Amino acid sequence: MRKLFALFSVFVLFTVLTACGPKLDYDKGTFTGPYCDDLDVFADAKKAAIGMVTDSGTIDDKSFNQGTWEGIQCYNAKHTSAVKYLQPSGETKEDYINAIDNLVDAGYKMIVAPGFKFENAIFEAQTTHEDIKFIIIDGAPHSGNYVPDIKSNTVSVMFAEEQVGFLAGVAAALQTETGKVAFVGGMEIPAVQKFGWGYVAGVAYANDTYDLNVVVTDYLYQGTFTEVTAGQTIAAGMYDEGIDIIFAAAGGVGVGVINEAKTRTEAGEEVWVIGVDSDQYDAGKYGTAGKSVILTSAMKRVDLAAYNYSGALATNSFVGGKQVTYDIKNDGVGLPANNPNLAADTLTKVDTVVAAMKADTIVAPNTKEKLTTYLTSKGYVTPGTITY
Amino acid sequence: MENKHKSARERFIHYFSDESNRRKLAPYISILFGLLAGLILMLLIGQDPIKGYINILNGSIFKGLFEGNFRRLGGTLAIATVLTFTGLSVAFAFKTGLFNIGVGGQMLFGGFIVVLLGNVLTLPKPVHLLVIVLAAAIGGALWALVPGILKARYRISEVVTTIMMNYVAMWTVSYFVRRWIPGHYETESSMIKESASLKFELLTDLFSGSAINLSIILAGLVVVFIWYILEKTTFGYELKAVGFNPDASKYAGMKVNRNILYSMIISGAIAGLAGASYYAGYTNHVKLGVVPNFGFDGIAVALLGLNSPFGVVLSALLFGVLRTGGEYLNAMTSIPKELVDIIVGLIIYFAAATLLIQFMLTKLIKKMKKNDEKHIEEKVVE
Repeated sequence: MRKLFALFSVFVLFTVLTACGPKLDYDKGTFTGPYCDDLDVFADAKKAAIGMVTDSGTIDDKSFNQGTWEGIQCYNAKHTSAVKYLQPSGETKEDYINAIDNLVDAGYKMIVAPGFKFENAIFEAQTTHEDIKFIIIDGAPHSGNYVPDIKSNTVSVMFAEEQVGFLAGVAAALQTETGKVAFVGGMEIPAVQKFGWGYVAGVAYANDTYDLNVVVTDYLYQGTFTEVTAGQTIAAGMYDEGIDIIFAAAGGVGVGVINEAKTRTEAGEEVWVIGVDSDQYDAGKYGTAGKSVILTSAMKRVDLAAYNYSGALATNSFVGGKQVTYDIKNDGVGLPANNPNLAADTLTKVDTVVAAMKADTIVAPNTKEKLTTYLTSKGYVTPGTITY
Repeated sequence: MENKHKSARERFIHYFSDESNRRKLAPYISILFGLLAGLILMLLIGQDPIKGYINILNGSIFKGLFEGNFRRLGGTLAIATVLTFTGLSVAFAFKTGLFNIGVGGQMLFGGFIVVLLGNVLTLPKPVHLLVIVLAAAIGGALWALVPGILKARYRISEVVTTIMMNYVAMWTVSYFVRRWIPGHYETESSMIKESASLKFELLTDLFSGSAINLSIILAGLVVVFIWYILEKTTFGYELKAVGFNPDASKYAGMKVNRNILYSMIISGAIAGLAGASYYAGYTNHVKLGVVPNFGFDGIAVALLGLNSPFGVVLSALLFGVLRTGGEYLNAMTSIPKELVDIIVGLIIYFAAATLLIQFMLTKLIKKMKKNDEKHIEEKVVE
């Protein structure tokens, strides 16, 4: 027994001794990507230590987590820094806070948290760790009452999804052969809703401006971001109704929509999908000719936000305590630079709309009420079966 | 004189000649093998295993402990509490001959009742807590009742029915949460009232704001209570007897069907308490569309704890440490968190192979005894 105790004491002592200051490995990464190449290098950036906590889902979700992590990796490829992501063991506030604490204890100076689910956890963490910077994407910290309370070490990044949804709507209206288009959302959360509202407004705008008669004949939320087969079934139903373009802002459900479009295109039908969040062109490729069913993608540059704030941390230019919106003006949202499936005429018209948005002459509606007003002003009649 | 100064070897042989002692040692050997395998794995991926294990311990217990920050220990204990409940639920069913795989579903349903009552009732805290804890047990028991009846009356395998009840629980809870207690976001229920939270200020402050809550005391009481039932009462004896051999029990005049039903209900009630511990102590709301994986972890906890109530506590603590320490390990080093999952998996693997380990021990003891006899014979011949 005495021996055991002695052994234990030695062990504890050893633990305490080795528990002193963490050492981070600063390693230059090797990430390359189409969007990373175009980003500017920050001059005189100091070494940065950037941590990230993943939302539900994994780091390779082809969406939110992946986009954020790619932004951080891109930063690391251009500037030597220490980067790490943790996938929490659960999806509760406690699990998120534990993950944040672990990263902070390991020496990371900034924590990027993609998703509204982090609102409560970031609210607590921004107070406990005053010397750590926090970036929350698509949400704002609050104590549980949904009233944003952003401390000076935190930035809440929001995106103008309605603007890029609008552009997708304009493109869809100009490209459709049947005059019928549709929207499929994942969960009915603000970020997804705004894509949908902007989309319908874009269709209405195109009808009014270019004298078209396109209708959004189906508009629904599947309810998850994961049900691939449900997405496929929904898409099959829509294409059968004569709809030829579906805007899928629905994560994994969108993958199902893309699968259905691929199957039909290979069988000779002409149907399209509008992708979301990142440029999904590659995800829509079929056959051997390298063609894709992705008409275009409504991009939301979470990677840019992660990249920019990593730079802000490293150059000591981080300004917190506020909410920032990434929109069309700062390239936070937009259609991809390359759109092989859009007609030249469509591209010109979309560019005009982009210019008008930047000049504030077109304002995409970002609430249900504004959408209703907007549709009325454009003389668009919503089919009776649809609620936004 | 001879007897008092037995050599270590003689004591070893003596101790392990007893079969129950051999059985008790098996889990420790499994853990040792599991940790050794983890060590080899870390070496293989070019990492420092000592640093790895120290980080696991630091992350789950020691980091900050000596500066008076008990947060990490508290978090580990909170997880271990939930695991104790689910492990005990599985272990109790095992002891009485039932394989309850539906602990996750029973826990979820118990937890749903807790969150529902935590939302709609307005009561003083002590009364509210008593109500939700009782309701959790009843909710869990109710969910286990259906498989219990099917097993007792129609001999339908509880393995199939309990696991299917998990899915029924998942979607039933989703439906009623959306209808009665929808949260701010579509994926969750609304938060329970402060008076229904098992978090206790004194305890929370003591553990530097960690998730530890009153259910840890409840867990202790339940563990002792279940041990008492199983080991010290006729009722418990009957339950075990039915588990060992239903036909013999029936011949001996026991009510087999009734006892199966009771076992299932008690196992479900403990699972329901796990729901109270998790949903009223840890999360304070229900997330939709998932069955908590604590149910399946409970099977592992029970297996390693040799289905004994106190064994379950020890193995729940070990799992708690590995679970919370793994993430810290991931943050501090470039050893992936999944390594911990592998270690846990291996420990379970070895634990499942306890029979093999016991067999090896038996052989070893036999061989040693034989050797000794040879020595004695040789001495006699001389």
